[in-house]
Amino acid sequence: MNVQRIQAIFEKDMKDFMKNTMMFFTPLLPVILAVFYSRLGEGEEMPLMMIYLIVGVTYSAVTSGTMMMLMAEENEKKTLRGLMLSPASFLDIIIGKSLAATLLTVVSLVVSLLIMGIAPLLNAQAIMGLVLLFFFFLFLGIGIGLFVKTVGITTAYLMPIMFLFGFTPMVTFLGFAEDSLTMKIAGAFPLPQLIEMDETHSWLSIGVVALWMLAAALFAFICFKKVKQNE
Amino acid sequence: MENSIEVNGLRKTFGHKSAIKDVSFAVKQGEIFGLLGPSGAGKTTMIKLLTGELVKTAGEIQVQGMPPSKFQTAAFKAQIGILSDNSALYERLTVYDNLKLFCRLYNEPVSRIDEMLIQVNMQEEKKKIVAKLSKGMKQRILLAKALIHRPKLVFLDEPTSALDPGNTAQIHRVLQTLNEAGTTIFLNTHDMEEATVLCDRVAFLHHGSLQELDTPENLRYRYSTHAFHVETFSGNKLVIENNEGGAEEIAKLMKHGCIKSMHTDNPTLGQIFLKVTGKELV
Repeated sequence: MNVQRIQAIFEKDMKDFMKNTMMFFTPLLPVILAVFYSRLGEGEEMPLMMIYLIVGVTYSAVTSGTMMMLMAEENEKKTLRGLMLSPASFLDIIIGKSLAATLLTVVSLVVSLLIMGIAPLLNAQAIMGLVLLFFFFLFLGIGIGLFVKTVGITTAYLMPIMFLFGFTPMVTFLGFAEDSLTMKIAGAFPLPQLIEMDETHSWLSIGVVALWMLAAALFAFICFKKVKQNE
Repeated sequence: MENSIEVNGLRKTFGHKSAIKDVSFAVKQGEIFGLLGPSGAGKTTMIKLLTGELVKTAGEIQVQGMPPSKFQTAAFKAQIGILSDNSALYERLTVYDNLKLFCRLYNEPVSRIDEMLIQVNMQEEKKKIVAKLSKGMKQRILLAKALIHRPKLVFLDEPTSALDPGNTAQIHRVLQTLNEAGTTIFLNTHDMEEATVLCDRVAFLHHGSLQELDTPENLRYRYSTHAFHVETFSGNKLVIENNEGGAEEIAKLMKHGCIKSMHTDNPTLGQIFLKVTGKELV
């Protein structure tokens, strides 16, 4: 691992991002949604579920989405080969890109939460949960980004991630009975766990989210190994 | 270290298909070595094996004195430069930003960018977005990128394919200057003219096997019939054998001032390739 090379890749990705119209609008999506939600029921306290929904959208669209697109574009435009033939290691490349995805996520999330009301998330337990959740989505993005060959195909992978993990709390609006299997399964997903944690202050939820994060890290590691084997 | 590349009994198979079959050769330090063959002959596979992009099935490889186990190290990568027709630039970034990235990856000062742009005659395009450059200009920037870290050995895979004569000549000039400075060049091409102009030695690769290896001059001499092609002012075209009888015949023609032109029967590398493999070099 080499800090200078990681920084070079990070700066290149940030410059490229500023000129990429499609990617440039991705971090704006949660901000626009936050503005929209904050206008609903003006004067009333923002429901916690809506705040976490914005977190879910930010992490799925910006963290996972950006990471996937950054990797896929390098594959599609055949620029990854140039990086791989340089002294930069595969890990340098992934970390450089992860830093770009992290910066965009932080900016997008902070702006969105400032609009929605950041106060409910300003406690150690919530922050820890948000950090674990961020890494869950980042590892998911890295894993998929490693084998996706074109930017177009990233959409096919991004949609299920957004609906399954980014919009999980919305399942409550689908009319399932509270004790149905669907609701129980959805409740074990990371985002509902964080909402539950906020209500119960249980550390068990943090544990569940940590398990999700470890599973995503394992998935990214398996994808990384597979790509290295195929080289 | 006398040889930059040493290959012995190299084999590469993809499933049941053999791409490289028991190939052995060496490339001397400071020479331009041309690997000639039609598309699908195994030329790109050879470069990928020599640069660590592919793993050999059998045989031995040494590049810059290093075995394949070192091909992924930064020390190895710093010694080699690669340009292929598959190389690419970041289209949304400027020429400067593209080269700056590689300067930093190779730990070179950014002042090197200007040196390289002068070398490939692209100083005026420094601030231009890559997407707005022509194919020939992009190829020259890719060459600058491949050479930005002063590699000792450069691999070129069809570097001038689909380029106009002006850009081709420009790239040839850069390569000749580079070689004069001592850089070893491994050139994959199916362009026989390019090989004749640039290469100190050439090898023919056909269906993954090496068929011939020598200097272009030696190959042309070896495959020559050694006859003379003579055209007279009366329009006759004669083929005269290179022997005593032929000498008398030429002397007679010269005595009468009949010879309009006369040249030896040295075949082109393309003709030799066709003779050796029965396949056109395209």
